[in-house]
Amino acid sequence: MRVNFSYLEQQFADLEPYLSDLRDFLRTSDFTLGKPLVEFENRFATLCGMPHAIGVASGTDALILSMKICGVGCGAEVITTPTTFFATVGAIVACGAKPVFVDSEEGFVIDPAKIESAITPQTKAILAVHYTGNVADMPAIMEVARRHNLMVFEDACQSIAASIEGVPVGSWGETASFSLHPLKNLNVWGDGGVIVTRSDELATKLRLYRNHGMINRDEIAVFGCNSLLNTLQALIGNRLIKDVDWITNRRIVNAPYYDDRLASLGEFVQVPRRRLGVKHVYHLYILRVKQRDGLLAHLQQNGIEGKIHYPVPLHLQPAARYLGYKTGDFPQCESDCRSIITLPVHQHLTREQIEYTVEQIKAFYTKQRR
Amino acid sequence: MSSPTSVPYVNIAALNEDIKAELLEAVSRVLDSGQFILGREVEVFEKQFAPLCGVRYAVGLNSGTDALIFALRALGVGVGDEVITVPNSFVASTSCIVLVGARPVFVDVREDYNIDTSLIEKAITPRTKAILPVHLTGRPADMAQILDVASRHGLWVVEDCAQAVLAEYQGQRVGSFGAAGCFSLHPLKTLNACGDGGVVTTNDEAVYEKVKLYRNLGLKTRDNCVIWSGNSRLDTLQAAILLVKLKHLHRWTEKRRFNAAYYQKALAGIPRVQVPLDQPHERAVYHTFVIQAGARDKLQQYLQDQGIGTAIHYPIPIHLQEAASNLGYRVGSFPVAETQAKRILSLPVYSELEQWQLEHVAEAVQRFSPRSER
Repeated sequence: MRVNFSYLEQQFADLEPYLSDLRDFLRTSDFTLGKPLVEFENRFATLCGMPHAIGVASGTDALILSMKICGVGCGAEVITTPTTFFATVGAIVACGAKPVFVDSEEGFVIDPAKIESAITPQTKAILAVHYTGNVADMPAIMEVARRHNLMVFEDACQSIAASIEGVPVGSWGETASFSLHPLKNLNVWGDGGVIVTRSDELATKLRLYRNHGMINRDEIAVFGCNSLLNTLQALIGNRLIKDVDWITNRRIVNAPYYDDRLASLGEFVQVPRRRLGVKHVYHLYILRVKQRDGLLAHLQQNGIEGKIHYPVPLHLQPAARYLGYKTGDFPQCESDCRSIITLPVHQHLTREQIEYTVEQIKAFYTKQRR
Repeated sequence: MSSPTSVPYVNIAALNEDIKAELLEAVSRVLDSGQFILGREVEVFEKQFAPLCGVRYAVGLNSGTDALIFALRALGVGVGDEVITVPNSFVASTSCIVLVGARPVFVDVREDYNIDTSLIEKAITPRTKAILPVHLTGRPADMAQILDVASRHGLWVVEDCAQAVLAEYQGQRVGSFGAAGCFSLHPLKTLNACGDGGVVTTNDEAVYEKVKLYRNLGLKTRDNCVIWSGNSRLDTLQAAILLVKLKHLHRWTEKRRFNAAYYQKALAGIPRVQVPLDQPHERAVYHTFVIQAGARDKLQQYLQDQGIGTAIHYPIPIHLQEAASNLGYRVGSFPVAETQAKRILSLPVYSELEQWQLEHVAEAVQRFSPRSER
């Protein structure tokens, strides 16, 4: 049996509705900041329960534009965790600021108890990452930020539709950044990103900045960039955004099913503790396991596309050398990098595929026991 | 009296309509492959685009603006540096300089809308790091002069080729003169995607490698990050669309040049109307066909009344924009660019124009002008 990580083939098995949309769209030539984009932004804002959603070229750009527009720049420090995707740190550096790392906790999100000791007079913001579809402990983070007068930004690239006690991601920070990358829970056919914010002022500034600072065709208020969510991609997004609830629910059903079935392997497999009240949307389903590399190879040999997100901690990447971190600085993150494995959890996964995956994991460890 | 638009200023729909079946087929192929980020189409596009510009390397990015930003960044242009450019371009030619942390320094333009090379030297300071000439309207800037100044002062040259794919200067394609060439694939460009897109061209392997890293989060492999960066990738889907369009690019370009030649002949000798002319050493590709006219606003209105769409590229020079207020320029700083901004008018010149439309435009300009003389 094959257990695929990418579900695009299944998701787009029937292309006709999309191609039909495209056919009509090509006739309009409404390619830049077109009507489908405005519609998508409205739907996205509603989905997040926020007044403003602004489409940009990627989730990474969403982070960069958010921080830049709020004045994060040269000389500033931004606190985040090394347990994240490269883009989180890339965005901080792209603003001219310095990333300052704080270790993650068991759920792969920043440990709020460790933030305070990383704050310096240069600290300007906390960039909280809702990694894997989990949600960072925002009430605790907001409390630290309030005490030290810091801005908070949410990296929600992997966490669309996630929430704490019913409060959706995006509700806490100055802005929240989402990615629409092809393998995200809400995806388009290429790169794309969205910024949500409560602030009318930030929304206006972001709309200017993403489009060359143009007030209108002829007047330039600020020197801005060009970072638009492609209208063509928004057209695709308009179809897929209707599926977000279904996609999220499927993942939320699949994950605990794995959790239960793997409970008996406690000696080898550790299911991360799930925080009460958090709606985790399982962009990634990650376990801590013993003999990780052996298990990964075994799964791959048996047609199961396991992955590692990611094997090298960000603070130990060549790109981070100038920051002066060393092995041992962030023990949770570092030990995770050695033991984590990601299993397919997507919405098109069948019960049989999950059962098969669990069987293969059990088979691997049974062999080890002998 | 106004009539319905019989000659719209642009007509992308007509261009795409002609090749719609091909486009949808290309899109379906990408979907079937399930590869939406980088991958085959982007590579093939880059491999075809590089020789088209006479260079060894091309890298597909999210926009022409990003192409300019990444090229400057790859050459080490940043905080404290100055970059010399023109104030009459699209704003991105200047924004890219500001966005890498450098300071734009403007130089006035010539009658052909390109940088006045005789003024460059005076603008050079110890902080100058690069010259960023724009091949505006699809006409190559005077590259021999620019390269000469640059080499004497040890400056980089980054070409803004956003409007000039296939343009030639002394038989050589633009994008191959400087350390890097920066192209836009915006829907209104001659080679256009159905959304944003851009390309950096270069013969310099180091620039190529850097831009490739910058566009993809600084990742050398999936797990090895050698420099922090954002991402800016030409959509695979757009690359597939562009591969279809590349097949038609020479034909479209020739048609634009034909249209331009028609206007040049038909509008020659009209009082108070100045028509762009080709120099023997240039091959202009006419992204825009920009005339100058005394009573420009009245002419534009008159043409509008005849159902002819026109545009002004651009009515407010960059140095007089609100965004430039801290750069210390004022009205009068660049007299040629400022005068042109009041006189320029872009006539429709796209490849789908039909003969009767060309004639209609030319006749309308002819009819208007004598009247304005009275």
